Amino acid sequence: MTAMDRILIIEDDPETAAAIRAEAEALGCATDHRDTLPSGIEAATSAQYNVIVLDRMLPGGDGVDAMARIRAGGSTALILILSALGRAANRVEGLEKGADDYLPKPFEPEELRARLRALLRRGTIQVLDNDLLAFGDVEIRLKARTVHVKRTHVPTSPKEFELLTYFARNAGQVVTRMQLLENVWNLHFDPGTNVVDVHVGRLRRKLEDAGATAIQTARGEGYIFAPLPA
Amino acid sequence: MTTARPFAARATLRLAALMALAVTVLSLAAMALQYRLVEARLMAAQQSLLTADLNGLAALYDQRRIIALRQAIDYRATAATGDEMLLLMDRNGQTLAGTRKDWPATLAPAGEGFTTDGAVEFTEDETRWLAVARALPGGFPLLVARSLQPVDDTLGALRRGMLGLLGALLVAGSAVGWLAARSVMARINRINTLADRVADGALDARLPGPRSDDEFGLLETHVHAMLDRIENLNRATHRLSDTIAHELRTPLNRMLQKLSKIEGQDDLTADLKAEMRQAIRMFDSLLDISRAEADQGTGGGLVPVDLSTVAAEVWDLYDPLAEDKGLQTEAHIAPGQQILGDRNLIAQVLSNLLDNAIKYCADGDHLTLTLTPEDDRILMRIADTGPGLPEDLKPEAFDRFTRAERDRATPGHGLGLALVRAIAARHGARLTLPPSEKGFALEIRWPRLQQSD
Repeated sequence: MTAMDRILIIEDDPETAAAIRAEAEALGCATDHRDTLPSGIEAATSAQYNVIVLDRMLPGGDGVDAMARIRAGGSTALILILSALGRAANRVEGLEKGADDYLPKPFEPEELRARLRALLRRGTIQVLDNDLLAFGDVEIRLKARTVHVKRTHVPTSPKEFELLTYFARNAGQVVTRMQLLENVWNLHFDPGTNVVDVHVGRLRRKLEDAGATAIQTARGEGYIFAPLPA
Repeated sequence: MTTARPFAARATLRLAALMALAVTVLSLAAMALQYRLVEARLMAAQQSLLTADLNGLAALYDQRRIIALRQAIDYRATAATGDEMLLLMDRNGQTLAGTRKDWPATLAPAGEGFTTDGAVEFTEDETRWLAVARALPGGFPLLVARSLQPVDDTLGALRRGMLGLLGALLVAGSAVGWLAARSVMARINRINTLADRVADGALDARLPGPRSDDEFGLLETHVHAMLDRIENLNRATHRLSDTIAHELRTPLNRMLQKLSKIEGQDDLTADLKAEMRQAIRMFDSLLDISRAEADQGTGGGLVPVDLSTVAAEVWDLYDPLAEDKGLQTEAHIAPGQQILGDRNLIAQVLSNLLDNAIKYCADGDHLTLTLTPEDDRILMRIADTGPGLPEDLKPEAFDRFTRAERDRATPGHGLGLALVRAIAARHGARLTLPPSEKGFALEIRWPRLQQSD
């Protein structure tokens, strides 16, 4: 993540736009703001952005329908849809039509920050063609689907392995429960109970029993995967 | 869809039968009138023949009394046609002349004039006669009669004709009634089928083809106009709920943003955030319920989904939570069960049910999920040995905001089961609460995906 990261905000509610801007700037990004769809598309296709935060019900149309035009205009930015159309069906529709992430309104600022961070990171890191992910004592072999801590094999269930992989790919950043539900379980609704906590807790205990304090709780936000170097 | 309707144009059949009956009764009355007229006319003819006979005999009697009568009757008897009966006897009961030898037993002579006054009918050998019996001065009984056989023959033929006509009328009436009922039913069935499709959720269903220029065409036009109106209202409702979602979320969003700026009261803001998340969930559930209900039966947006996989995934998500709470869990999921569905909605159903079970069960309770194939359905059963549903709550268990009094302290909004029902209905699945000895059990029968194509 560099200071040169640029984020385009296409959002018609000024207060929401200000909140997004605050989060983006807290991440050290430069921001531009447009409040109608046509002007947003125009901006998106005329300058290079890392991430576009796109509302859906905008003056001038639905942001989801505009994604194709933004892409056709040559933009390679990752698109985060931020919309009041927040039901599971809406989210799946948005993701299927090409959004890189979908956050329903109302959103908590921490959630938005986590999402933006994940997108910014995805935009910069190289595609993982490497079989081995190593963080200090923790080694993850993707093809063999095995986890070792200090050379000792740690047995994991398939879901635990996916959970750990997702954590590893977002190492050092806050990952929210909602992100985990969406990306690891592919569920796009809020189940109300923090079912995810139990799974994270189990994985954390397994790693700790093997001698790696890798997963920390970020109070009120989510979790951080930050294995301490050996 | 409903099963094929039996042919049930009872109203039309009743009407046709009534009309056939009315026509028959009227015809019958007309024929009866005609019958009476013919009968009276024929009787009058026989009467006048008798009168003529008597007049002739009277003239002869005036000239030469009994002698002339005897001669004339003899003459007539030799040329008898069988249509008349003449008999003259002497005072000793000896036959002087006549078409027969003896006096009919049932008849007694009365009066002595040559008039038809007191003419009587009598029956002999199954033939009716119109007779005048006199005792002429000096004690000579005279019988003059005319056969009523021609009258009876004619009337009999008339009766037979009428009976035949009556039969023909009834047959024709029934045939016309049946045909009318059939054609009416065929046209009404079109509209019934349309109504069924609409009731099943296909609000955009319309009757194809041109509309005829009659009352049925008018009915179809009206039905179409009504459906257009309903469809528009439905669409407006959808738009409204989306708008509400948007308009309400924006202020909620601002509240959340401002909440994050509060510093130093972490516990309070965390509580407030949790409350708001709960409100938003409730709001989403309500929207999900109305959307699932509105989409019911349309089949749009449903794709082949492996129910077994979804069930296993959601089970795996909740199983550790249940175990941590000390529940004995068990899942028997038949693999590869396919349905036409929406993965997220199905997951929501399971998530709601498992979440409820875990919430209400205590340490040591059992929780089981089974998925078993049935004929053309897939049975999903979730059962626990928890406190179960209070008996008085069962009828309304699936209504929105239904919560047991004892659960007031447990967090929840009473929308879970309503959402389960709406989503099940959206998938054409049947929902039942089977009786269970202890705890809560719920069965959902999902329609199996037809693999024909």
